[in-house]
Order: sequence, then C-alpha cells, then structure tokens
Amino acid sequence: MQQILLKELRYLLVIPLFLLSIAGAWAQGITVQGKVTDENGTALPGVTVLLKGGSTAAPTDANGAYSITVPNGNGTLVFSYIGFQSQEVPINNLSTIDVQMGADAEALEEVVVVGYGTQRRQDVTGAISSIKADDIVTQGANTVEKSLQGRVAGVQVESAGGNPGSGVRILVRGTGSLNNNNPLYIVDGVQVDNINNLAPTDIASMDILKDASAAAIYGSRAANGVVLITTKSGRKGENVIDFNAYYGIQNITKKLDLLNASEWAQVSNAAYNAAGLEPLDIAQNPQSLGKGTDWQDEIYRTAPMQNYNLAASGGGDAYTYSLSGGYLSQDGIVKNTGYDRWNLRLKSDFTKGRVRIGESVILSKETFDPLTGGLGGQGGNPVGSAIKMIPVFDVYNPDAIGGYGGAYGPVVDIANPVAQLNLRDVENNVNKAIINAFAEVSILDGLKYKFNVGYTNTSEYYYEYTRPYQIGALFTNLDADLYESRNQTNYFLQEHTLSYDKMFGKHNIQALVGYTYQNTQYRILEGRKSGMPDGISVIDAGTSNTASGSRAWENALISYLGRLIYSYDDRYVLTAIVRRDGSSRFGNNYQYGNFPSLAFAWNASSEEFFEPLESVFSMLKIRASYGELGNQEIEDYGFVPSISPNLNYVIGTEQTLWPGAIQTAFATPNIKWESSKTLDFGADLGFFNNKLFLTADYFIRRNTDILLQVPIPLSTGASSNNPYINAGQITNRGFEAALSYNNTVNDFTYGITGTFSSVNNEVDNLGTGSQQMFGGQPTHHGASATVTQAGYPVGAFYLIKTNGIFNSQEEINAHSYEGQLIQPNAKPGDIRFVDYNNDGQIDQNDRQFLGSPTPKFTYGFGGSLEWKGFDMNLFFQGTYGNKIYNGLRQDMESMNLNTNYSTATLNAWTPENHTDFPRAVINDPNLNSQTSDRFLENGSYLRFKTLQFGYTLPKSLLDAAKINSCRVYLSFDNLFTITNYKGYNPDLGRTGSVLDRGVDFGHAAYPLARTSMVGVQLSF
Amino acid sequence: MKRSLYIFLLSCSMVACTDELDQVNPNVLTEETFWKTENDVLSALAATYKTLRVQENGYWAVRGVELTNGRGDDFFIRNDVKDLYQLSTFTNNPTTGTPSNLYATAYMGIFRANQVIENTPNADIPDEAKANFIAEAKFLRALNYFHLAINFGDVPLITSVPQVREDYFVKQLPQAEIWALVESDLQDAKAVLPVSYSAEWVGRATQGAAIGYLGKAYVYQEKWAEAENEFKLLAQPDGRPQAPYNYDLLENYEQNFMKEYDNNKESLFEIQNQNVGGSQPWAGENANESQGVTTAQEFAPTEVGGWFEAFPTNKMFNEFQEEKTVDGDFDPRMYASIVWDYPEATFYKKPYSEFEEVFGFKSRIRKYQNWRDENEGIWISEINEKALRYADILLMYAEALTMQGRTTEAYPLVNRIRNRANLADLPTGYSQEQMMAEIRHQRMVEFFREGLRFYDLKRWGLLEEEIANSDKEGREFFNLARHEYFPIPQNELNTNPEIEQNPNW
Repeated sequence: MQQILLKELRYLLVIPLFLLSIAGAWAQGITVQGKVTDENGTALPGVTVLLKGGSTAAPTDANGAYSITVPNGNGTLVFSYIGFQSQEVPINNLSTIDVQMGADAEALEEVVVVGYGTQRRQDVTGAISSIKADDIVTQGANTVEKSLQGRVAGVQVESAGGNPGSGVRILVRGTGSLNNNNPLYIVDGVQVDNINNLAPTDIASMDILKDASAAAIYGSRAANGVVLITTKSGRKGENVIDFNAYYGIQNITKKLDLLNASEWAQVSNAAYNAAGLEPLDIAQNPQSLGKGTDWQDEIYRTAPMQNYNLAASGGGDAYTYSLSGGYLSQDGIVKNTGYDRWNLRLKSDFTKGRVRIGESVILSKETFDPLTGGLGGQGGNPVGSAIKMIPVFDVYNPDAIGGYGGAYGPVVDIANPVAQLNLRDVENNVNKAIINAFAEVSILDGLKYKFNVGYTNTSEYYYEYTRPYQIGALFTNLDADLYESRNQTNYFLQEHTLSYDKMFGKHNIQALVGYTYQNTQYRILEGRKSGMPDGISVIDAGTSNTASGSRAWENALISYLGRLIYSYDDRYVLTAIVRRDGSSRFGNNYQYGNFPSLAFAWNASSEEFFEPLESVFSMLKIRASYGELGNQEIEDYGFVPSISPNLNYVIGTEQTLWPGAIQTAFATPNIKWESSKTLDFGADLGFFNNKLFLTADYFIRRNTDILLQVPIPLSTGASSNNPYINAGQITNRGFEAALSYNNTVNDFTYGITGTFSSVNNEVDNLGTGSQQMFGGQPTHHGASATVTQAGYPVGAFYLIKTNGIFNSQEEINAHSYEGQLIQPNAKPGDIRFVDYNNDGQIDQNDRQFLGSPTPKFTYGFGGSLEWKGFDMNLFFQGTYGNKIYNGLRQDMESMNLNTNYSTATLNAWTPENHTDFPRAVINDPNLNSQTSDRFLENGSYLRFKTLQFGYTLPKSLLDAAKINSCRVYLSFDNLFTITNYKGYNPDLGRTGSVLDRGVDFGHAAYPLARTSMVGVQLSF
Repeated sequence: MKRSLYIFLLSCSMVACTDELDQVNPNVLTEETFWKTENDVLSALAATYKTLRVQENGYWAVRGVELTNGRGDDFFIRNDVKDLYQLSTFTNNPTTGTPSNLYATAYMGIFRANQVIENTPNADIPDEAKANFIAEAKFLRALNYFHLAINFGDVPLITSVPQVREDYFVKQLPQAEIWALVESDLQDAKAVLPVSYSAEWVGRATQGAAIGYLGKAYVYQEKWAEAENEFKLLAQPDGRPQAPYNYDLLENYEQNFMKEYDNNKESLFEIQNQNVGGSQPWAGENANESQGVTTAQEFAPTEVGGWFEAFPTNKMFNEFQEEKTVDGDFDPRMYASIVWDYPEATFYKKPYSEFEEVFGFKSRIRKYQNWRDENEGIWISEINEKALRYADILLMYAEALTMQGRTTEAYPLVNRIRNRANLADLPTGYSQEQMMAEIRHQRMVEFFREGLRFYDLKRWGLLEEEIANSDKEGREFFNLARHEYFPIPQNELNTNPEIEQNPNW
C-alpha cells in the first residue's frame, strides 16, 4: 500500500513541477490558491497549508479551498491533514495548486508511540502492539484495561476481583518476576499506578511495548512491559462535538449449586452419625426445615449502569485542543456495591515560531462502594459468607440489635452476608489529577529540546462506618464504629530531552538523549472511634476505642537515557538504547543500574527484488532485538534493618502501657537491581495490500537476580517479614501472533482478527538451590497448594494425589506398606491417597507436581461486519491448558465443618451407594478434606465476551439536524462461558502474590456479571 | 544549541543531587540509631515480654491457651476453628497452623531476647543495669526454649543474632541440649535478677521466677535432687513462705483468676493483660492493638455472645467431685474452675439452668472468665494469666521429694494445697505411689485450664492411658509416639534445609 501511495504521489508532483519550471519568476508576495480534495474528489476542509520553513499558514475552508500569500514563488507548500499523507508541493511560481491527498490509513494507525516520541510503524524494530480508539470504544467496557482482554497478542488480562470499578491484572509476556508483574503505565508521558480512572472514550491509542528493546527507554521500570496511553488530541480545522451515552443492566452469570435447609440437615446428620456423634440441634427434623434461606439470592441483584461522555475538539493553524467530560455510574451485582466516576480532561498544544507548548490535564473523581471485607468470622466477605452460611438461619430478626438474624449453636462462625452488606458502610473516594506540561524548542533543523514536567496527585478518602449489631449468637458489636483515613500520593517528574531527527539522502537518523528525575511521596492519616450515637457518624461523637495514626514513604529515581535510530532507505533500521537508572530503593553502592538494548529490522518489502511479489505479498518485515531491563519494585527502605515500634506490653501495679520496640525483620544491605534480558525475533507480514496482516514474535525473556522475599525459617524468629534478596532466575519462552483480515465487497465491509499467545514459564534457580516457596493457601485452614522451585513453572500446583475411594475394608487393608496400613484412620468411603514418596504414610512429603496456573496458550478472536449503516462486532476470548485449585469447593464439599455444602454432597458415598464422592463424616479422620488434587480442576475456558449490533443513521437524515454522524448500538458482554471449571468464574480475579495466582480462594472473588446495554454515539 | 545545552545542564544540576537517592525511612528508627539508651533497652525488653502473649499465637494468648490445654483429657475444643479441632482430636499434621504459629512466636521471642543480650553491652548505661537487662532477656529466652522443648522436642538452638544469610539455617539439636541452655540461662538470670521491683515495674522477671522455672525445668527432666534444691529456696519444708521471696498461697483459691488480684503473692510470674494502648483486640503488633486478650470471649457461652470454643470433659467434671471438703461441699476449686447446674449456680448474672447443654458436657469453664459480668463486654479480658503459681511450686516440690523416696517430707506441702481447698490432711502412711497418685489428682484439679495437664501426663508416662479412659473426642486417633510432640511445622521444613521432621511424623 505504501508503495502505491508513493507512486501516486510522485505522479501528482511531477506535473506541477514540469509546468512551474517553464514559468518565469514572479514578483515577491504572490498569492497561491487552490482546492484540496481526497482521492474521491471530495473537498477536504481544515487542511493545513503551510509554507515550508516559514510561519505562514492557512487552512482550507468548507469547500476545500485555500488561499495563501507567500513571499515568492520558490518555496514549497506543505499540505497536512490528520488521516492523510502530508504532501510537499514546490510552488514553482504557480498561482493555483490543486492537491489530491491520499488517505493514509498508516498516518493514523502506523504512528507508534515509543516513549519520549513516536516512530513510524515501518521503523519499529521492537515488539509493539497497538490498540486504537475504535477498538476500545465499541466495546463499551467501563475501564480501559478490560478492553485489552484477548485483543493483544502476548498480553494476558485477568480480572482483579470484579468489584465495581476494580481493575485487571495485566501480564505482558507471562510471569517474569516473583515480586511485581505489573506493566508500567504511562499516560500522556506521565507514569501512573493504574488506568482504571480513565474514560475509555478519551483514549486515542494504547501502545504496548513488549520486548526489551521497545521498552528499554523506560529502563528500570519496564521489565514487565510498558503500556503507553495517548489521550485524544484535537485536529486542526475540525471542530467537533462528540456525545456518547449508554445504559445497561448487569446480572450474575452463574450461581453455585448449594443445599437447601432440609438437604443440608440430611447431609449434616449423616456426617455426625458417621462420626458417632450426636447430630446438631438445628439439623433435627430435616423435613420440617423446608428450603430455608437461599443466601445467594439474598445478596445478588440486577444492577444498572450508565455512562455519558461529551467531548469537544478541534484546532487552528497553531493550536489544537481536546476537552472532554464524562460520568459513569455502575451498581454492582452484589447489593450495596457500586462505582461512579466523573472525568474531565483537557489536552491542547500551541505553536509559536520555534516553540511548541502543550499540556494534558486529566482529572477524575471516583467513588467506590466496594464489597465489605466482612465483619469477621470464617465466611469472609459477603460473597464467601453467602455460600457457606447454613440455609437454616433467617435473614432478619427484628428483635436483634441491627435487625438481622444469624448463626447460633455449634456452627462455624459465619456472619449473615445480608447483615454484612447493610450494617457496614464502606466508601472510598479517589480524586486523581494527572498533569503533564511541556515546552519544545526547535533549535536547528531537526534538533529539538523538550522540557517536560509531570505531576500526579492521588487523594483518597476512605470511610467505614459500622452500626451496632447482634447477628445471631456469634457476632456482637454493641457500639457503632467509625474509621476514616485520608492519604495522598504525589508524584513529580522532570524530563529534559534533546532530540535530533534528520534525513541525509537515504540515511535517516533519530537520536535522543535525556535526563529524568522522579520522586514519589505518600502519606496517610487515619483515625477511629466507637460509640457514636445513632445517626451520627463523625469521629468527634465517638466515646471509646480511640486510635489514630500516620505513615509516610518517599522514593526517587534518577535516569540518563539515550536512543539512536538509524534507518537506511526504509530498508534497514537499527535501534540502540541505553538507560542508566539510580533508585533510592537500594543501598549506597547498589543504586545504579545500566540497561542497554539493540534491535534491528529489515523491511524486505522495500527492496527492489520484492516488487514482482507486491500484488500478493505487500509487506515483509523481519525484526530481531536484545535488551536488558531492570526491576526495582520492592518496598522502600528494604535494605535497612529497622526498629519496629509499638510492640507493646503492660507493666506495673497500675497496669499501664509499656511501649516496646525492637528489630523484627532482617534486611539485606547489598540487594541490587533485578534484571530482565529479552531476545526477540519477529516478523510482520502483509498480503493483498495488507488486507491480511500477520505479526508474529518469538521471545526468550530471562529474569535474573530476582528480587524476592524468600521465606526464611520460622526458627529465625523473623519469618513474618522475609528480607529481600536477589534470589534466582526465571525464563519465559513465548510465541505470540496477531492476525487480521479486512475486506470490502460491494456494500459489505468485514474483518476478522485473532490473537494467540503462548508462554512457557520456568524457574531456573531459586534461593539456596533446592529452595521451595509455597503459596496459594486455598481456604481458611488448608495447606498451601502451590510451589515455586527450580525446574517448574512459577506457582505450580504441588499436591497430594488422590486415587479413588476405598469401597471396603479389604481395599483399605490392601493399601499398606511393610504390613502397616498407610491410612490407619480410613474407613470405607474415604479417599485413597497416593503415598508418593513410598514411606508408608500420607503427609506433605507426598506432594507432587500436578500442573501449572499458566495457560498453555491464551487466545482471542473476533469479527466485524458492516453493511449499509449496519454493523456487528463480536469477540471471543479464552485460555487453554491451565489448572485452577478450587479452594471454595474444598470448603463446600468437605462436610467436616458446620457450614452449608454443595449439592454434590448429596451423592456422597454410603455403604449402599458406592459413588466417587467420599463419605460424609464430620470429624474427617482420614483427612478427605485436606489440600489435594481432589480440588484441582481444568481452568480452560472460552468466553463469548462481546456481541454488538450498531446502526449508523444515514447522513441525509442527519443533515437537517446539523448532526455529522449518529450511531446507535446494542451490546452484550460475557454472554456465555464454556468451561469445566466448577467455581464462579475461571478468570479468578485473585490479586496479590503471583504464587497464589491459580488458586480460587472462596472469600476473594466477586462474581462475573453479564451486561446488556444500549448506547448512542453522536457527533456534531 | 549551546544555549540549550547550557539550560539542559543547568536544569540537571538543579535537581540532580544524587542525595535524592539516599532516602531515610521516616517511620521508624534504624539499627544505627537504636540501642543507645536505657530507654532503648527497656523498650526492647517490653517487645520481648510481649511475645509471650502477642495476639493469637503467644503462649498465653488465646491460641496458646487453646493449644496447651487442647490436647488434655480434661479439655474439649469444638469443631469450629479447624486447626484447634485437629490438634485436640489428634488429627493434626505438620501444616496445622496453631502449633506452627506457636513455634514461630517462641523463636520470635528468642530473636528479640538475643538482640537484647547482644546489644545491651554496647549501650551507654551503667554496668549494673546492663547485667540486669541481660539477665531478664536470658530468663525470657529460657522460657521460650522451655516451651519449644516440651512441645516439639528436638529443635534448633539459636543463641545469637544472625549476621549473614547462612546463619538463618540452623540444625535441630537433641532436647537435652535445649534443656542445658534453659538451665544455664535460668541460672544466669537467678544470679542477677532482683527479688522484686518497684511498683511501676511489677510484672518483670524476678529472681524467684527464675528459680521457680529452673526447678520446673529440672522436674521436666526428672532431675529430682536439683529440682528440690531450687524449690527449697522458695518454700520452707512445711510449705510456708521463704524469705526473701515470701511467696504464699492466697487464702481464696479463686482470687488467682480475678483481675482484682493481678500480681498477687502467689504469683511468681504472670502475663500482664490490660485494655490499654489501642482498642483492637486483633490488630497485630501495632499502635491499635489492645493489650488485653480475647480468650474469655472465645470460651464464653453463646447465650452471652461468646464462641463456646472449649469445655471441660466429663472426666474432668467427675475428677473435681472425687473428694468433698471437710464441710461436705464440693472442692472450692471446682466452683472456681467450672460451672455446672448446682443449686443457685449463676453464670454471667443468669441462673446456670438458663444455659443450654451442648455436646453433652455437664459443665463449662469458669476459670479466667469474667463471669460475674453480664457478658464478656468488648471481648478484651484484663485478667492476667498466671504463668507460675506458688501452688505449682509446692506440688512440684512435693513431687521431687516423693520421687526421691521421701514421701513423708511431701506431706506438709501437699497438705497446704489441700487445706486451702478445705480438704482434710492426708492420712499418714502413704506409699510413694499413693503419694504420687494424690499429687497427680491435686495437679489435675488445681491447674485445670492452666495449660499443664497434657505435659504432666507426658512426664508421668500416662498420656495413653488417661486419654483412652476419658470421654475426649478424638481419643481413638491418639498415638503416643506421634502425638507426644508436635511435628516440626511444615513451614520450617519448607524453608530450612538443615532441619528434619520429628521421627514419628
């Protein structure tokens, strides 16, 4: 395509050149006029016409006409318009120059943001994936990150809890590190913690820098990839107002099958009988109990969401602007949860002579009404409690303080989930300002100096008010409690860059040197009291339990960077980057790290010998890169042993507080930067004018000196907070590909896209060599489910294996070792465990590797179709080959604790009915309930993620109303999921340690919602 | 360009002091600034005492009390907190959390004590004060090793602060070597610690406490003669108080477990509990943490908002009734320790008959409960846990004598315990075995819920028999070789390549 455009351009340019050469020189101060049209002859308004090297410029009017006065007839006019290829036309003393501009899809698509500047796609040497505005907006996702899921090869997006407004966990190319795997987010040049607060409609593009070469310019912070977000800018001469709105409803996609009251009583009685114990009082007369309370029904609801955005953008000769505001309101599918967000954003730039000044200001105000953490007890949050709460108990009790019923008797202390949702008000208000301003000076031709200042401020206000209550017999709080906290994070960035961009014949050089300084400061102030009178919720009104506190931290990063991009004849491109970073997180002699990278690309399709192939094979680029990046994402001050305060005791006959303080954790003074080395080979292939496009990469990423809190023995006395060490090496090998096909046949325009990523993750060595790190606690009590050690993937499942059920005493007797029973406490109906180490007993030494939480591959695919104003989009996404440890099922199927159980327990083994589900026995002498592969499941899934139908109203209808365009749409998210996984959602949403990644802990998850919505997109 | 470069360099120099990279933690002191003054050392000692009752997992915090009592034939723990139920029914394994946490907390205390012992000599304080502080830290270190030895057997012996990473990984040593350190630390403590403290410092380890624990350490090793030597420093042969320590039995047994009688004359060492500091009973070690304990709430009945986690077994209930007082009433220790449906029995200001009988147990725990209140209030109990009582000294003294064949000399000591309980003097002419049986009975009745029963049975070699003849839930799973000691916690095995599992696990 590029080639064809260039040819056309040449053709266009040749004629005026020829004519002009005949004409004589005119007097100074001539006027040139003409008309600018697109390839179809349609007038283009708002095209900038500029005298090259001068300050004279003029826009085209509504008819595409322009008129510009230039000093003489020897100059060159530059025609530029976003979305079209800019053209340079020598005046050659002509008075009329009409120009037809070639629509340049690449002008939009193919400028890639690479950090501290942009690059033409064809010059890109690293692995960079881009997502454009359209892809983000059509989905109606409420946060930007969610629109990434399945759409970018090599980027794995997992939900992070599902709470309304919560974000996602993004893994770029697998799990490289063991401490922090979050990519670096840069919004309009400023580093931010997450991008949940951005309105998706404000995004112009997201560029994901995946390999070390691409990301190297961000050095230390880029080891997990970089997500560069560019918000929308105005376009010169095009003043537009856009309005977007949608309204939707959300429903829970799946409920778990649990016992009703009478079924529960039957199972419970069976479990007590089997142990020879008296049944529970509340379980007597199962028949009379009926269905009881369905706790899941009590907490879930159909929840509405709505969103509005209004944006104005445009620009003139010397400026562009984009202003937008939005409001999102989303109720959660769990009652009393929700999220709302206000956004305001301004981005503009202004050019005067050699100086260009611009800024981007993004303000957001978010209010989270999250799922409360629970009122204590072993049910955890309301979602977990709704599953485990016995259906015999009542929701309400008008006589109890607070008005709610609850558990009583010898049952596990689980708090009524409805009471939890209603008795505690939790609200988190987050105000964020992301501000970036720059001044750029053109010093010489091609040489620019840019001064950039960034500032972000995050102010949070957290409020948690608990009413007095008495919930059943196990939960009592007679005084109202109030906790409030305010914290502030200030981030300051200063950057100086000098860039040089110049063409010398066929040689093109882009060079950059820079210095950056960053500083982050955090401080929190908090207070609490109890005993406020009813209806008053300020701390001053409290009478008891006074507590207050404040904490702070600060860190700094100083960096020097340099980049050189050299390309020859658009055929060969070489990129060399070096960055030197100094971090306050390391001790004096270890603060600095150097991070170099080198990359090469060959645009084979630009070679002459390629021309015969062009009708089929329109593009071929081959890339190779190698680079080193750093990781310093550990706690501040981690290298200094500190004295912990408030390890208090009581002393004296008066029993007063005796304040204590001592060192409680070790520190490693000589920890240093973790480094990540990546070798990447990639190819970009285009066929049939790039209608079919394939990008594929293979990489090897090796993280060494991994910064890790390797668990130290309990006997050190400091095992609750392990010191960081540079502990080991992890290698990720991966292949990723993205394929797209777009075509138009008559009135039909259609497209198909697909992504595929496969990462093989392996720990090469860790700590002392045989070091094992255990993680993934699956339940309140259960043993860990994962191990991380050399030779296996990070967080691999490491479990005792089961081998069916003992159907008779003979089978139990047969399961012996040197004449001794391996499972002496077993009875028929219990589980047979595998004595893996063959020592005659079942214990933790019998654990074995049984799978990985990392999918063998992840994929996404979708299609789009347009026909005469109608459009349709659909998108699927999934994983294959990963395992999930279902901790929730461990609790729900074990029948060893007095909680509700899953309906599967109705099929438990009995002497009469031999099934593959172990017998009910409340004291569980055989430990059927212990952490084992009984609860390990296949985590593969395929999710129909998005389906959207749209209709764009015909222009004829809209002209009267002075509307440019209007599209209405109907959209559905999470229509269905095909999976064998038995929990709520195979996309777990477990945040925190990466070692827990594949473990579904019953308390954590917020179930997935199915969303249906209707929306309108208007442009004036 | 020159100008720009100049600006560039200037701006760099404005901000580029690399000092910016030298951040100092604004929240805490560091090793460099600490360990200078007397106050520093005192606060380090507070932090060391604190581990004995640190929330949940301290030896005398709620989980500690549940663990030390939970395995006895006198104690039942219901199936609520799985770890506790497992250990009390002998279905625990190396991953069971409570023993693991207790192990970790004991070493936390040892780590802190080792810091005091190593750093105090360099502080800028008088030598005499230094010696005292070090002796105190040694007492605490000994106490933690004592707990490790009786619960886990062979464990790593760590007597210094690790300097390099390699020091973190320590082999376990035979139990005898752990006892050797306990003895030498207590001997050092005994030599230096004061007999008493001024009112403002009451609660710290005294010379009497060191002697008492040293004697107890000998008893656990059946070094009867050595034990006797220590006990006779604390009690006269007739059981009367011995100067300069002057410990004595309270006249009213029950007062030992009431907060009005904290730090009384019967107490050699006790754990200080009070609702001071923060307000949160489960805050962990920070400013919000209340310095009380939640044990009483966990044991209280559901009718008053408690979690009824534990009950006396009916075996215990019957044991209390073995012998009536001279007035024909029940043993006053029965009234103080448990509550059952006797005429006019009240519990939390209600007639006991209003409480529902659960699990078929005829009685509930009263000792250390705030049962004269309406309920357990804000769940923070202020009653100090008595770690070592004079009554224990007297009965161990009696045992040491009996075991040396001097049964007659044991009489006055046992009779002091009996007389306080309003029981008649023992009949004369007891054989060694008869006297031991009496001592065993007295210990069972005297120290219910004080965390001694399981360990006493183990010393006497009676675990198997006594658990088997009880109504303890899970007795069918008891296996002496296995359950005598807890296994080395899985988390220690996972992290320490030098350690090996206890042979029977």
